[in-house]
Amino acid sequence: MGWRAALATWAALLGGVLAAWSLAAATLPMPAYVLPPPTAVLEALVDLARKGILPTYVGESLRRIVQAALVAVAVGVPAGVLLGMSRRAAEFSYPLLSFFQSVSGIAWLPLMLIWFGFGERTILIAVNYTVLFPVVFNALLGVRSVPQIYVNALRTLGASRWRIAWAVLLPGALPSIATGVRLGLAYGWRALIAAEMLVGANGLGFMIFSAQPFHLTARIMLGMGIIGVLWTLLDYFFLRPLEDATIARWGLVQR
Amino acid sequence: MTAKITVRGLRHEYVNPFTRERVTALDGVDLEVEDGEFLTVVGPSGCGKTTLLGILAGLVPATRGTVLLGARPVTGPGPDRGVVFQEFAILPWRTVERNIAHGLEIQGVPRAERAATVARFVELVGLRGFETKYPHELSGGMKQRVAVARTLAANPEVMLMDEPFASVDAQTRITLQEELNAIALATRKTILLVTHNVDEAVFLGDRCCVLSRRPGRVKTLVPVKIPRERRTWQLLTSDPSFAATKEQVLRLVREEVGAGDTA
Repeated sequence: MGWRAALATWAALLGGVLAAWSLAAATLPMPAYVLPPPTAVLEALVDLARKGILPTYVGESLRRIVQAALVAVAVGVPAGVLLGMSRRAAEFSYPLLSFFQSVSGIAWLPLMLIWFGFGERTILIAVNYTVLFPVVFNALLGVRSVPQIYVNALRTLGASRWRIAWAVLLPGALPSIATGVRLGLAYGWRALIAAEMLVGANGLGFMIFSAQPFHLTARIMLGMGIIGVLWTLLDYFFLRPLEDATIARWGLVQR
Repeated sequence: MTAKITVRGLRHEYVNPFTRERVTALDGVDLEVEDGEFLTVVGPSGCGKTTLLGILAGLVPATRGTVLLGARPVTGPGPDRGVVFQEFAILPWRTVERNIAHGLEIQGVPRAERAATVARFVELVGLRGFETKYPHELSGGMKQRVAVARTLAANPEVMLMDEPFASVDAQTRITLQEELNAIALATRKTILLVTHNVDEAVFLGDRCCVLSRRPGRVKTLVPVKIPRERRTWQLLTSDPSFAATKEQVLRLVREEVGAGDTA
């Protein structure tokens, strides 16, 4: 399916949903705060954008996730590759990484609140933690799955351990690293929203949570929509092009 | 004439990780490969051919015995022994020319000199026009040409080849065998090639080394008395001496297969 056809299908689908939603909001016997019409969400968008709240909140949330992504790639990828270079280190760290990956940042939040307080510090630690482990874990798995024959070929050409790490293990692990970054960011994005709900003074999570006591339903829906749209855009315009230029170009994944 | 590769009393044991059995793959291998010689090694499957090549490459440790390259003992892998593997071992994330240049890069050869050498070997293996392609865009035969060019470009003292044409189709294999013969003549490299294909072993070798069944040792060395310059499949299929040598080697290998069945 070409992108034009895809876009047309998406537009039709969206139109259908909006129409059904409008109809439901207009006809069902329930107050507006339970199911506001799409126009109310649009009004909330315009209102919050005009007041400057929305740009600030979106900016804060994006800043946090981007910061966590940078740390995860800068620290997590080298850590995973290093651990993967030694079979013993890999076997030792595998269950630990598996454990910490499964105890999500959200589950850590109560403890982190006690340790680090109701503030920015807790949000950042929770998000960084959540993004980091899938990246380390998958980088390690990726290195372990690089065919030994590539390593042997480089050894017979006289390559050092570090050259093998750079020229063979890192690129060979990239499909897995890409999966790790994708997973880590997806988990991290959720952890971020949750952390902002509990301790935020701004951000999208704070926006939707703080709207609840006042029954600002349109604002909640707007925030949810933006959370989804931002992630989709990030994935489509950042993660995918990155993969297309590397692992897809090398024939390591099928597109 | 001095030997380029000397193998003395080589033994290799390993523990099968599944059955925990101790297996002797090679026992008492003695072999000399002369400078500029093309030696082919055949034997029944499981006789330790690939293990022998792995030990020569320095990738597999010997349990006992010595391997000398010239006068130097082999203790690990090194650029003096280039290896062409059975599977495609060129890197998928490097283009053809960057794969071929890899050994030179590791040796720290300056960029301009590297480019000239790469161009020469691209030409030699017939890959002109494919320099900027990635391996997944090439056929199996072309990938193996890249592997041969990568090995030769690094200018090793000897080239070790482990069933290099096993994963390509029959038609391509014939072409690659003729090309390898021509390349070997042009470069005068010392080559040791392991194969299970008797036709291939006799077609390419100055001598053909037949290994016994496991534990492998050298059973017989069969000289192939046809000048390598005259070897094309067209000429050899009607050559009675080629047919006779092939028959002889085939019989020697079969003896080992039969012996293995009754053992």
